[in-house]
Amino acid sequence: MTAQVSGWSVVADLGRSAWEWCIGWWQIILFSAKLLVLALSPSSYRGANLAALARHLVKDTTPVLLWFTLMTSIISLVIIHIVVVTSVSYGLSRYALEMVVRVLVLELIPLTAAMFVALRCALPNASEVAALRAQGALDAPAAAGGEELQREVLPRVVSGTFSVLLLATVSCVVAALIAYLWVHGFTVGGFAGYTRTFGRVFSPAVSLIFTLKTLGLALAVGLIPIASVLYDRPNPRLRTSSELRGLVRLFAVILLIEVAALVGNYT
Amino acid sequence: MGDKSTLTPAATRSLAVRAALLVMLLALLVAGSVAYLLYARGVFEPSQRLVLLADDVEGVTVGMDLTFAGFPIGRVRGIELAADGTARIIIDIPRKDARWLRESSVFTLTRGLVGNTNLRAFSGVLSDPPLPGGAERRVLVGDATAEIPRLVNETRDLIRNLTQLTSADSSLATTLGNVQSATDKIKGPRGALGMLFGNDADAKKLVDALDRTNALLARIDGLAAKADQQVFGAEGVMPEAKAAVVQLNAALLEARESLKKIDAILVDAQAIAGNTRAAANDLGALRAEVDANLRKVSGMIDEVNRRWPFAKPAEIKLP
Repeated sequence: MTAQVSGWSVVADLGRSAWEWCIGWWQIILFSAKLLVLALSPSSYRGANLAALARHLVKDTTPVLLWFTLMTSIISLVIIHIVVVTSVSYGLSRYALEMVVRVLVLELIPLTAAMFVALRCALPNASEVAALRAQGALDAPAAAGGEELQREVLPRVVSGTFSVLLLATVSCVVAALIAYLWVHGFTVGGFAGYTRTFGRVFSPAVSLIFTLKTLGLALAVGLIPIASVLYDRPNPRLRTSSELRGLVRLFAVILLIEVAALVGNYT
Repeated sequence: MGDKSTLTPAATRSLAVRAALLVMLLALLVAGSVAYLLYARGVFEPSQRLVLLADDVEGVTVGMDLTFAGFPIGRVRGIELAADGTARIIIDIPRKDARWLRESSVFTLTRGLVGNTNLRAFSGVLSDPPLPGGAERRVLVGDATAEIPRLVNETRDLIRNLTQLTSADSSLATTLGNVQSATDKIKGPRGALGMLFGNDADAKKLVDALDRTNALLARIDGLAAKADQQVFGAEGVMPEAKAAVVQLNAALLEARESLKKIDAILVDAQAIAGNTRAAANDLGALRAEVDANLRKVSGMIDEVNRRWPFAKPAEIKLP
Protein backbone atom coordinates (compact mmCIF):
# COMPACT_ATOMS: atom_id res chain seq x y z
CA MET A 1 0.00 0.00 0.00
CA THR A 2 2.80 2.35 0.95
CA ALA A 3 4.72 1.51 -2.21
CA GLN A 4 1.62 2.20 -4.33
CA VAL A 5 1.11 5.57 -2.67
CA SER A 6 4.76 6.39 -3.19
CA GLY A 7 4.53 5.46 -6.89
CA TRP A 8 1.50 7.66 -7.39
CA SER A 9 3.24 10.48 -5.62
CA VAL A 10 6.25 10.20 -7.97
CA VAL A 11 3.98 10.25 -11.01
CA ALA A 12 2.09 13.22 -9.59
CA ASP A 13 5.35 15.04 -8.94
CA LEU A 14 6.51 14.35 -12.48
CA GLY A 15 3.24 15.58 -13.91
CA ARG A 16 3.35 18.70 -11.76
CA SER A 17 6.91 19.38 -12.84
CA ALA A 18 6.04 18.95 -16.48
CA TRP A 19 3.06 21.22 -16.08
CA GLU A 20 5.13 23.88 -14.36
CA TRP A 21 7.76 23.52 -17.07
CA CYS A 22 5.17 24.09 -19.75
CA ILE A 23 3.62 26.98 -17.86
CA GLY A 24 7.05 28.53 -17.35
CA TRP A 25 7.89 28.36 -21.05
CA TRP A 26 4.47 29.65 -21.98
CA GLN A 27 4.88 32.65 -19.67
CA ILE A 28 8.32 33.30 -21.12
CA ILE A 29 6.87 33.26 -24.62
CA LEU A 30 4.09 35.61 -23.61
CA PHE A 31 6.54 37.91 -21.87
CA SER A 32 8.79 37.88 -24.92
CA ALA A 33 5.90 38.79 -27.16
CA LYS A 34 4.93 41.61 -24.84
CA LEU A 35 8.47 42.95 -24.78
CA LEU A 36 8.79 42.71 -28.55
CA VAL A 37 5.64 44.75 -28.89
CA LEU A 38 7.05 47.27 -26.47
CA ALA A 39 10.35 47.27 -28.36
CA LEU A 40 8.49 48.16 -31.54
CA SER A 41 6.56 50.92 -29.79
CA PRO A 42 7.98 54.43 -30.36
CA SER A 43 7.12 55.43 -26.78
CA SER A 44 9.84 53.05 -25.56
CA TYR A 45 12.46 55.33 -27.08
CA ARG A 46 11.41 58.62 -25.61
CA GLY A 47 12.55 60.58 -22.59
CA ALA A 48 13.68 58.57 -19.62
CA ASN A 49 13.25 55.31 -21.46
CA LEU A 50 15.68 56.41 -24.15
CA ALA A 51 18.20 57.52 -21.54
CA ALA A 52 17.90 54.22 -19.74
CA LEU A 53 18.24 52.36 -23.00
CA ALA A 54 21.30 54.38 -24.00
CA ARG A 55 22.87 53.78 -20.61
CA HIS A 56 22.36 50.04 -20.82
CA LEU A 57 23.55 49.84 -24.40
CA VAL A 58 26.77 51.58 -23.54
CA LYS A 59 27.22 49.77 -20.26
CA ASP A 60 26.61 46.31 -21.70
CA THR A 61 28.38 46.66 -25.01
CA THR A 62 31.30 49.05 -24.82
CA PRO A 63 33.38 47.31 -22.16
CA VAL A 64 33.20 43.93 -23.87
CA LEU A 65 33.42 44.98 -27.48
CA LEU A 66 37.17 45.44 -27.63
CA TRP A 67 38.04 42.44 -25.51
CA PHE A 68 35.66 40.14 -27.25
CA THR A 69 36.88 41.28 -30.66
CA LEU A 70 40.47 40.72 -29.56
CA MET A 71 39.67 37.30 -28.16
CA THR A 72 37.80 36.15 -31.25
CA SER A 73 40.58 37.51 -33.44
CA ILE A 74 43.16 35.40 -31.65
CA ILE A 75 40.95 32.32 -31.74
CA SER A 76 40.13 32.98 -35.38
CA LEU A 77 43.82 33.28 -36.19
CA VAL A 78 44.53 29.92 -34.59
CA ILE A 79 41.61 28.23 -36.32
CA ILE A 80 42.45 29.80 -39.69
CA HIS A 81 46.03 28.64 -39.36
CA ILE A 82 44.98 25.11 -38.47
CA VAL A 83 42.42 24.90 -41.27
CA VAL A 84 44.73 26.38 -43.92
CA VAL A 85 47.73 24.25 -42.96
CA THR A 86 45.63 21.10 -42.81
CA SER A 87 43.98 21.85 -46.15
CA VAL A 88 47.32 22.52 -47.81
CA SER A 89 48.81 19.32 -46.41
CA TYR A 90 45.94 17.33 -47.90
CA GLY A 91 46.05 19.20 -51.19
CA LEU A 92 42.69 20.84 -50.56
CA SER A 93 43.90 24.40 -50.22
CA ARG A 94 41.22 25.76 -52.51
CA TYR A 95 38.63 24.69 -49.96
CA ALA A 96 40.47 26.29 -47.05
CA LEU A 97 38.90 29.73 -47.32
CA GLU A 98 35.44 28.32 -47.73
CA MET A 99 35.93 26.14 -44.70
CA VAL A 100 37.25 29.08 -42.67
CA VAL A 101 34.27 31.20 -43.61
CA ARG A 102 31.86 28.42 -42.82
CA VAL A 103 33.44 27.45 -39.54
CA LEU A 104 34.12 30.92 -38.19
CA VAL A 105 31.60 33.33 -39.63
CA LEU A 106 28.68 30.99 -39.99
CA GLU A 107 29.01 28.84 -36.92
CA LEU A 108 31.48 29.72 -34.21
CA ILE A 109 31.44 33.47 -33.87
CA PRO A 110 27.66 34.03 -33.47
CA LEU A 111 27.52 31.19 -30.97
CA THR A 112 30.52 32.51 -29.06
CA ALA A 113 29.09 36.01 -29.01
CA ALA A 114 25.79 34.74 -27.65
CA MET A 115 27.45 32.74 -24.90
CA PHE A 116 29.79 35.56 -24.03
CA VAL A 117 27.02 38.15 -23.76
CA ALA A 118 24.85 35.71 -21.85
CA LEU A 119 27.49 35.29 -19.19
CA ARG A 120 28.85 38.80 -19.24
CA CYS A 121 25.67 40.91 -19.56
CA ALA A 122 22.44 38.92 -19.62
CA LEU A 123 23.05 37.11 -16.37
CA PRO A 124 23.95 40.30 -14.43
CA ASN A 125 20.95 42.02 -15.95
CA ALA A 126 18.74 39.15 -14.84
CA SER A 127 20.20 39.40 -11.36
CA GLU A 128 19.44 43.12 -11.30
CA VAL A 129 15.86 42.49 -12.35
CA ALA A 130 15.53 39.77 -9.75
CA ALA A 131 16.87 42.17 -7.13
CA LEU A 132 14.42 44.87 -8.23
CA ARG A 133 11.62 42.40 -7.97
CA ALA A 134 12.76 41.30 -4.54
CA GLN A 135 12.95 44.93 -3.44
CA GLY A 136 9.44 45.53 -4.72
CA ALA A 137 10.59 48.03 -7.29
CA LEU A 138 8.93 45.83 -9.89
CA ASP A 139 5.34 44.80 -9.38
CA ALA A 140 4.19 41.28 -9.72
CA PRO A 141 4.80 40.19 -13.31
CA ALA A 142 1.18 39.61 -14.05
CA ALA A 143 0.34 43.10 -12.96
CA ALA A 144 3.47 44.77 -14.29
CA GLY A 145 2.46 47.68 -16.41
CA GLY A 146 4.01 48.63 -19.70
CA GLU A 147 5.68 51.64 -18.14
CA GLU A 148 7.73 49.63 -15.70
CA LEU A 149 8.67 47.16 -18.35
CA GLN A 150 9.72 49.98 -20.66
CA ARG A 151 11.82 51.63 -17.99
CA GLU A 152 13.44 48.74 -16.19
CA VAL A 153 13.23 45.59 -18.29
CA LEU A 154 13.12 46.57 -21.93
CA PRO A 155 16.44 48.48 -21.90
CA ARG A 156 18.16 45.43 -20.44
CA VAL A 157 16.58 43.10 -22.97
CA VAL A 158 17.40 45.38 -25.89
CA SER A 159 20.94 45.97 -24.71
CA GLY A 160 21.56 42.23 -24.38
CA THR A 161 20.13 41.61 -27.83
CA PHE A 162 22.04 44.52 -29.32
CA SER A 163 25.24 43.43 -27.67
CA VAL A 164 25.04 39.99 -29.23
CA LEU A 165 24.33 41.47 -32.66
CA LEU A 166 27.14 44.00 -32.46
CA LEU A 167 29.74 41.61 -31.08
CA ALA A 168 28.84 38.96 -33.64
CA THR A 169 28.89 41.41 -36.53
CA VAL A 170 32.17 43.07 -35.56
CA SER A 171 33.84 39.74 -34.89
CA CYS A 172 32.62 38.23 -38.15
CA VAL A 173 33.95 41.18 -40.12
CA VAL A 174 37.28 41.06 -38.29
CA ALA A 175 37.56 37.28 -38.73
CA ALA A 176 36.81 37.62 -42.45
CA LEU A 177 39.51 40.27 -42.76
CA ILE A 178 42.01 38.15 -40.84
CA ALA A 179 41.22 35.15 -43.02
CA TYR A 180 41.85 37.18 -46.16
CA LEU A 181 45.09 38.65 -44.85
CA TRP A 182 46.30 35.29 -43.59
CA VAL A 183 45.69 33.54 -46.88
CA HIS A 184 46.51 36.28 -49.40
CA GLY A 185 48.63 38.71 -47.42
CA PHE A 186 48.55 42.48 -47.81
CA THR A 187 47.47 42.51 -51.43
CA VAL A 188 44.26 43.10 -53.28
CA GLY A 189 45.09 40.39 -55.80
CA GLY A 190 43.04 37.79 -54.01
CA PHE A 191 40.01 40.00 -53.46
CA ALA A 192 38.07 38.73 -56.47
CA GLY A 193 38.58 35.08 -55.55
CA TYR A 194 37.83 35.76 -51.91
CA THR A 195 34.66 37.62 -52.79
CA ARG A 196 33.65 34.76 -55.02
CA THR A 197 34.20 32.30 -52.19
CA PHE A 198 32.10 34.46 -49.91
CA GLY A 199 29.37 34.62 -52.47
CA ARG A 200 29.47 30.86 -52.94
CA VAL A 201 29.18 30.23 -49.19
CA PHE A 202 26.47 32.78 -48.56
CA SER A 203 23.78 31.49 -50.83
CA PRO A 204 20.33 33.01 -50.22
CA ALA A 205 19.28 30.07 -48.04
CA VAL A 206 22.45 30.14 -45.98
CA SER A 207 22.23 33.91 -45.60
CA LEU A 208 18.66 33.66 -44.40
CA ILE A 209 19.48 30.92 -41.92
CA PHE A 210 22.49 32.87 -40.69
CA THR A 211 20.42 35.99 -40.17
CA LEU A 212 17.63 34.13 -38.42
CA LYS A 213 20.07 32.24 -36.26
CA THR A 214 21.91 35.36 -35.15
CA LEU A 215 18.67 37.18 -34.45
CA GLY A 216 17.32 34.18 -32.58
CA LEU A 217 20.45 33.88 -30.46
CA ALA A 218 20.40 37.59 -29.71
CA LEU A 219 16.74 37.59 -28.71
CA ALA A 220 17.20 34.48 -26.62
CA VAL A 221 20.14 36.00 -24.78
CA GLY A 222 18.24 39.22 -24.17
CA LEU A 223 14.91 37.72 -23.21
CA ILE A 224 15.21 34.34 -21.53
CA PRO A 225 17.34 35.11 -18.46
CA ILE A 226 15.22 38.14 -17.53
CA ALA A 227 11.94 36.40 -18.28
CA SER A 228 13.04 33.47 -16.15
CA VAL A 229 13.77 35.55 -13.10
CA LEU A 230 10.52 37.42 -13.52
CA TYR A 231 8.28 34.44 -13.96
CA ASP A 232 9.99 31.70 -12.01
CA ARG A 233 7.89 30.83 -9.01
CA PRO A 234 9.78 30.18 -5.78
CA ASN A 235 10.26 26.44 -5.54
CA PRO A 236 11.58 25.15 -2.22
CA ARG A 237 12.42 21.80 -3.80
CA LEU A 238 14.95 23.32 -6.16
CA ARG A 239 18.34 24.29 -4.81
CA THR A 240 19.32 26.46 -7.76
CA SER A 241 18.62 30.16 -8.13
CA SER A 242 16.24 31.49 -10.73
CA GLU A 243 19.18 33.16 -12.57
CA LEU A 244 20.91 29.82 -12.95
CA ARG A 245 17.73 28.19 -14.13
CA GLY A 246 17.36 31.01 -16.64
CA LEU A 247 20.87 30.35 -17.84
CA VAL A 248 20.10 26.67 -18.29
CA ARG A 249 16.99 27.58 -20.25
CA LEU A 250 19.03 29.97 -22.35
CA PHE A 251 21.63 27.33 -23.14
CA ALA A 252 18.90 24.91 -24.09
CA VAL A 253 17.41 27.44 -26.48
CA ILE A 254 20.84 28.29 -27.91
CA LEU A 255 21.42 24.60 -28.49
CA LEU A 256 18.08 24.25 -30.25
CA ILE A 257 18.74 27.27 -32.46
CA GLU A 258 22.20 26.00 -33.33
CA VAL A 259 20.93 22.53 -34.17
CA ALA A 260 18.14 23.98 -36.28
CA ALA A 261 20.63 26.16 -38.14
CA LEU A 262 22.94 23.21 -38.75
CA VAL A 263 20.06 21.14 -40.02
CA GLY A 264 19.00 23.97 -42.30
CA ASN A 265 22.50 24.59 -43.61
CA TYR A 266 23.77 21.07 -44.13
CA THR A 267 20.80 18.96 -45.06
CA MET B 1 20.12 49.25 -8.59
CA GLY B 2 17.25 50.60 -10.59
CA ASP B 3 17.45 52.97 -13.51
CA LYS B 4 16.37 55.87 -11.39
CA SER B 5 19.96 57.03 -11.04
CA THR B 6 20.70 60.68 -11.14
CA LEU B 7 22.71 61.52 -14.21
CA THR B 8 23.64 64.98 -15.26
CA PRO B 9 22.24 66.12 -18.58
CA ALA B 10 25.74 66.16 -20.03
CA ALA B 11 26.35 62.59 -18.97
CA THR B 12 22.99 61.62 -20.39
CA ARG B 13 23.83 63.30 -23.67
CA SER B 14 27.21 61.59 -23.73
CA LEU B 15 25.59 58.25 -23.15
CA ALA B 16 23.07 58.94 -25.89
CA VAL B 17 25.83 59.88 -28.31
CA ARG B 18 27.85 56.78 -27.51
CA ALA B 19 24.78 54.60 -27.82
CA ALA B 20 23.97 56.22 -31.13
CA LEU B 21 27.51 55.58 -32.28
CA LEU B 22 27.18 51.93 -31.34
CA VAL B 23 23.89 51.66 -33.18
CA MET B 24 25.39 53.40 -36.18
CA LEU B 25 28.37 51.08 -36.09
CA LEU B 26 26.09 48.08 -36.10
CA ALA B 27 23.93 49.53 -38.86
CA LEU B 28 27.01 50.38 -40.89
CA LEU B 29 28.51 46.94 -40.49
CA VAL B 30 25.26 45.19 -41.30
CA ALA B 31 24.63 47.40 -44.33
CA GLY B 32 28.21 46.94 -45.51
CA SER B 33 28.02 43.19 -45.05
CA VAL B 34 24.75 42.98 -46.93
CA ALA B 35 26.12 45.12 -49.75
CA TYR B 36 29.29 43.03 -49.92
CA LEU B 37 27.30 39.82 -50.00
CA LEU B 38 25.07 41.16 -52.76
CA TYR B 39 28.19 42.17 -54.68
CA ALA B 40 29.74 38.76 -54.04
CA ARG B 41 26.60 37.10 -55.33
CA GLY B 42 26.87 39.16 -58.49
CA VAL B 43 23.65 41.09 -57.96
CA PHE B 44 25.13 44.36 -59.23
CA GLU B 45 26.80 42.77 -62.23
CA PRO B 46 25.03 42.38 -65.59
CA SER B 47 25.21 38.81 -66.71
CA GLN B 48 24.03 36.51 -69.45
CA ARG B 49 22.65 33.04 -69.14
CA LEU B 50 24.15 29.81 -70.37
CA VAL B 51 22.41 26.45 -70.16
CA LEU B 52 24.50 23.30 -70.16
CA LEU B 53 22.76 20.01 -70.91
CA ALA B 54 23.96 16.77 -69.40
CA ASP B 55 22.66 13.27 -68.81
CA ASP B 56 23.93 13.21 -65.25
CA VAL B 57 24.72 16.22 -63.09
CA GLU B 58 25.73 14.37 -59.97
CA GLY B 59 28.17 16.51 -58.01
CA VAL B 60 27.04 19.77 -59.55
CA THR B 61 25.77 22.18 -56.91
CA VAL B 62 24.15 25.57 -57.05
CA GLY B 63 26.83 28.19 -56.56
CA MET B 64 29.71 26.21 -58.02
CA ASP B 65 31.95 27.93 -60.54
CA LEU B 66 32.38 27.53 -64.26
CA THR B 67 36.07 28.02 -64.92
CA PHE B 68 38.00 29.06 -67.99
CA ALA B 69 41.76 28.54 -67.88
CA GLY B 70 41.44 28.08 -64.14
CA PHE B 71 39.60 31.35 -63.59
CA PRO B 72 35.98 31.34 -62.48
CA ILE B 73 33.90 33.08 -65.13
CA GLY B 74 30.44 31.94 -64.17
CA ARG B 75 28.33 30.51 -61.41
CA VAL B 76 25.68 27.83 -61.39
CA ARG B 77 22.36 29.44 -60.59
CA GLY B 78 20.17 26.42 -60.81
CA ILE B 79 19.85 22.81 -61.89
CA GLU B 80 16.64 21.47 -63.31
CA LEU B 81 15.37 18.38 -65.03
CA ALA B 82 13.89 18.91 -68.47
CA ALA B 83 10.82 17.08 -69.77
CA ASP B 84 13.00 14.74 -71.83
CA GLY B 85 15.01 13.68 -68.79
CA THR B 86 18.00 15.83 -69.62
CA ALA B 87 19.53 17.76 -66.77
CA ARG B 88 19.89 21.49 -67.36
CA ILE B 89 22.60 23.41 -65.57
CA ILE B 90 21.76 27.09 -65.60
CA ILE B 91 24.81 29.30 -65.34
CA ASP B 92 25.11 33.06 -65.01
CA ILE B 93 28.09 34.51 -66.85
CA PRO B 94 29.03 38.11 -66.06
CA ARG B 95 29.15 40.21 -69.21
CA LYS B 96 32.78 41.10 -68.70
CA ASP B 97 33.73 37.41 -68.60
CA ALA B 98 31.39 36.30 -71.38
CA ARG B 99 33.98 37.36 -73.98
CA TRP B 100 35.91 34.18 -73.24
CA LEU B 101 33.05 32.06 -74.47
CA ARG B 102 32.62 31.60 -78.20
CA GLU B 103 30.31 29.69 -80.49
CA SER B 104 32.90 26.95 -80.72
CA SER B 105 33.52 26.73 -76.97
CA VAL B 106 33.45 23.29 -75.40
CA PHE B 107 32.17 22.65 -71.88
CA THR B 108 33.21 19.74 -69.70
CA LEU B 109 31.98 18.32 -66.44
CA THR B 110 34.69 16.33 -64.68
CA ARG B 111 34.45 14.44 -61.45
CA GLY B 112 37.59 13.80 -59.45
CA LEU B 113 38.46 10.78 -57.40
CA VAL B 114 37.67 12.53 -54.12
CA GLY B 115 34.26 13.66 -55.25
CA ASN B 116 35.12 17.16 -56.39
CA THR B 117 33.28 18.18 -59.53
CA ASN B 118 34.44 20.84 -61.94
CA LEU B 119 32.74 22.66 -64.77
CA ARG B 120 35.23 23.92 -67.31
CA ALA B 121 34.98 25.89 -70.54
CA PHE B 122 37.46 25.66 -73.40
CA SER B 123 37.57 28.16 -76.24
CA GLY B 124 39.99 27.07 -78.89
CA VAL B 125 39.26 29.79 -81.45
CA LEU B 126 38.81 33.13 -79.77
CA SER B 127 38.14 34.79 -83.09
CA ASP B 128 34.86 32.91 -83.45
CA PRO B 129 31.58 34.77 -82.85
CA PRO B 130 30.80 35.28 -79.16
CA LEU B 131 28.40 32.93 -77.42
CA PRO B 132 24.93 34.49 -77.42
CA GLY B 133 22.95 34.89 -74.20
CA GLY B 134 20.68 32.01 -73.30
CA ALA B 135 22.69 29.57 -75.41
CA GLU B 136 22.28 25.87 -74.74
CA ARG B 137 25.27 23.62 -75.07
CA ARG B 138 25.90 19.97 -74.44
CA VAL B 139 28.43 19.37 -71.69
CA LEU B 140 31.01 16.62 -72.06
CA VAL B 141 31.15 14.45 -68.98
CA GLY B 142 34.44 12.97 -67.86
CA ASP B 143 34.08 10.81 -64.81
CA ALA B 144 37.27 9.65 -63.16
CA THR B 145 35.31 7.46 -60.80
CA ALA B 146 33.87 5.51 -63.72
CA GLU B 147 37.31 4.04 -64.20
CA ILE B 148 37.42 2.76 -60.65
CA PRO B 149 35.55 -0.57 -61.19
CA ARG B 150 37.75 -1.44 -64.15
CA LEU B 151 40.80 -0.37 -62.19
CA VAL B 152 39.73 -2.49 -59.25
CA ASN B 153 39.20 -5.54 -61.47
CA GLU B 154 42.57 -5.11 -63.11
CA THR B 155 44.20 -4.59 -59.75
CA ARG B 156 42.54 -7.74 -58.46
CA ASP B 157 43.84 -9.71 -61.45
CA LEU B 158 47.27 -8.23 -60.94
CA ILE B 159 47.28 -9.18 -57.29
CA ARG B 160 46.10 -12.69 -58.13
CA ASN B 161 48.90 -13.05 -60.63
CA LEU B 162 51.39 -11.69 -58.15
CA THR B 163 50.13 -14.12 -55.54
CA GLN B 164 50.54 -16.99 -57.95
CA LEU B 165 53.97 -15.77 -58.88
CA THR B 166 55.11 -15.45 -55.32
CA SER B 167 53.63 -18.66 -53.97
CA ALA B 168 56.06 -21.30 -52.71
CA ASP B 169 55.32 -23.78 -55.52
CA SER B 170 55.23 -21.19 -58.29
CA SER B 171 57.42 -21.29 -61.36
CA LEU B 172 59.12 -18.13 -60.25
CA ALA B 173 60.04 -19.61 -56.89
CA THR B 174 61.36 -22.76 -58.61
CA THR B 175 63.30 -20.65 -61.06
CA LEU B 176 64.75 -18.60 -58.28
CA GLY B 177 65.71 -21.80 -56.47
CA ASN B 178 67.44 -23.04 -59.57
CA VAL B 179 69.17 -19.71 -59.97
CA GLN B 180 70.28 -20.00 -56.36
CA SER B 181 71.73 -23.47 -56.90
CA ALA B 182 73.33 -22.30 -60.15
CA THR B 183 74.83 -19.39 -58.29
CA ASP B 184 76.15 -21.74 -55.67
CA LYS B 185 77.72 -23.88 -58.37
CA ILE B 186 79.24 -20.83 -60.01
CA LYS B 187 80.75 -19.96 -56.66
CA GLY B 188 82.18 -23.51 -56.49
CA PRO B 189 85.70 -24.58 -57.52
CA ARG B 190 84.69 -25.41 -61.13
CA GLY B 191 82.68 -22.15 -61.52
CA ALA B 192 80.30 -21.80 -64.43
CA LEU B 193 81.75 -24.88 -66.19
CA GLY B 194 80.74 -27.08 -63.34
CA MET B 195 77.21 -25.65 -63.61
CA LEU B 196 77.13 -26.19 -67.39
CA PHE B 197 78.33 -29.83 -67.32
CA GLY B 198 76.65 -30.82 -64.16
CA ASN B 199 79.66 -32.79 -62.88
CA ASP B 200 83.29 -32.08 -62.20
CA ALA B 201 84.67 -34.87 -64.41
CA ASP B 202 83.27 -33.44 -67.63
CA ALA B 203 84.32 -29.99 -66.64
CA LYS B 204 87.84 -31.32 -66.05
CA LYS B 205 87.76 -32.93 -69.50
CA LEU B 206 86.88 -29.62 -71.04
CA VAL B 207 89.68 -27.92 -69.20
CA ASP B 208 92.10 -30.58 -70.38
CA ALA B 209 90.81 -30.23 -73.92
CA LEU B 210 91.37 -26.53 -73.71
CA ASP B 211 94.92 -27.10 -72.50
CA ARG B 212 95.62 -29.48 -75.34
CA THR B 213 94.05 -27.09 -77.78
CA ASN B 214 96.33 -24.40 -76.50
CA ALA B 215 99.35 -26.67 -76.97
CA LEU B 216 98.13 -27.55 -80.47
CA LEU B 217 97.71 -23.95 -81.29
CA ALA B 218 101.25 -23.29 -80.13
CA ARG B 219 102.53 -25.99 -82.41
CA ILE B 220 100.45 -24.72 -85.32
CA ASP B 221 101.86 -21.33 -84.64
CA GLY B 222 105.42 -22.70 -84.99
CA LEU B 223 104.39 -24.62 -88.10
CA ALA B 224 102.96 -21.53 -89.61
CA ALA B 225 106.22 -19.69 -88.94
CA LYS B 226 108.20 -22.39 -90.71
CA ALA B 227 105.76 -22.48 -93.63
CA ASP B 228 106.05 -18.77 -93.88
CA GLN B 229 109.80 -19.09 -94.03
CA GLN B 230 109.59 -21.78 -96.70
CA VAL B 231 107.02 -20.04 -98.77
CA PHE B 232 107.94 -16.41 -98.43
CA GLY B 233 111.62 -16.71 -97.40
CA ALA B 234 114.60 -15.89 -99.60
CA GLU B 235 114.90 -19.51 -100.61
CA GLY B 236 111.15 -20.05 -100.50
CA VAL B 237 108.65 -21.09 -103.08
CA MET B 238 107.29 -17.71 -103.86
CA PRO B 239 110.43 -16.13 -105.40
CA GLU B 240 110.93 -19.19 -107.63
CA ALA B 241 107.30 -19.09 -108.60
CA LYS B 242 107.72 -15.45 -109.46
CA ALA B 243 110.69 -16.29 -111.74
CA ALA B 244 108.70 -19.10 -113.31
CA VAL B 245 105.90 -16.72 -114.02
CA VAL B 246 108.34 -14.37 -115.75
CA GLN B 247 109.63 -17.22 -117.89
CA LEU B 248 106.11 -18.31 -118.61
CA ASN B 249 105.27 -14.80 -119.78
CA ALA B 250 108.21 -14.90 -122.19
CA ALA B 251 107.11 -18.31 -123.45
CA LEU B 252 103.63 -17.02 -123.94
CA LEU B 253 104.96 -14.13 -125.99
CA GLU B 254 106.84 -16.53 -128.20
CA ALA B 255 103.77 -18.69 -128.51
CA ARG B 256 101.75 -15.62 -129.46
CA GLU B 257 104.28 -14.89 -132.29
CA SER B 258 104.08 -18.48 -133.47
CA LEU B 259 100.35 -18.33 -133.50
CA LYS B 260 100.49 -15.22 -135.65
CA LYS B 261 102.60 -17.09 -138.17
CA ILE B 262 100.23 -20.02 -138.08
CA ASP B 263 97.41 -17.56 -138.72
CA ALA B 264 99.17 -16.37 -141.90
CA ILE B 265 99.75 -19.95 -143.02
CA LEU B 266 96.15 -20.74 -142.40
CA VAL B 267 95.14 -17.76 -144.54
CA ASP B 268 97.28 -19.14 -147.34
CA ALA B 269 95.86 -22.60 -146.87
CA GLN B 270 92.42 -21.14 -146.98
CA ALA B 271 93.21 -19.52 -150.33
CA ILE B 272 94.60 -22.82 -151.65
CA ALA B 273 91.52 -24.62 -150.46
CA GLY B 274 89.39 -22.09 -152.37
CA ASN B 275 91.32 -22.76 -155.52
CA THR B 276 91.07 -26.48 -154.95
CA ARG B 277 87.31 -26.19 -154.49
CA ALA B 278 87.04 -24.40 -157.87
CA ALA B 279 89.22 -27.04 -159.52
CA ALA B 280 87.04 -29.71 -158.01
CA ASN B 281 84.01 -28.04 -159.56
CA ASP B 282 85.70 -28.07 -162.95
CA LEU B 283 86.64 -31.71 -162.48
CA GLY B 284 82.96 -32.53 -161.92
CA ALA B 285 81.98 -30.96 -165.26
CA LEU B 286 84.87 -32.74 -166.94
CA ARG B 287 83.87 -35.99 -165.39
CA ALA B 288 80.27 -35.58 -166.61
CA GLU B 289 81.56 -34.86 -170.06
CA VAL B 290 83.86 -37.93 -169.96
CA ASP B 291 80.95 -40.03 -168.69
CA ALA B 292 78.82 -38.88 -171.66
CA ASN B 293 81.61 -39.64 -174.09
CA LEU B 294 82.17 -43.02 -172.54
CA ARG B 295 78.47 -43.79 -172.80
CA LYS B 296 78.59 -42.73 -176.42
CA VAL B 297 81.67 -44.96 -177.03
CA SER B 298 80.01 -47.81 -175.19
CA GLY B 299 76.89 -47.39 -177.33
CA MET B 300 78.97 -47.26 -180.43
CA ILE B 301 80.83 -50.44 -179.44
CA ASP B 302 77.54 -52.16 -178.73
CA GLU B 303 76.32 -51.13 -182.19
CA VAL B 304 79.54 -52.40 -183.76
CA ASN B 305 79.29 -55.72 -181.96
CA ARG B 306 75.71 -56.12 -183.04
CA ARG B 307 76.59 -55.48 -186.57
CA TRP B 308 79.82 -57.53 -186.44
CA PRO B 309 79.21 -61.03 -188.04
CA PHE B 310 81.68 -62.85 -185.91
CA ALA B 311 80.31 -61.76 -183.02
CA LYS B 312 79.37 -64.36 -180.42
CA PRO B 313 75.88 -64.23 -179.10
CA ALA B 314 75.61 -62.89 -175.83
CA GLU B 315 75.22 -65.69 -173.45
CA ILE B 316 74.83 -65.64 -169.81
CA LYS B 317 75.87 -68.69 -167.97
CA LEU B 318 74.39 -69.12 -164.65
CA PRO B 319 76.42 -71.02 -162.15
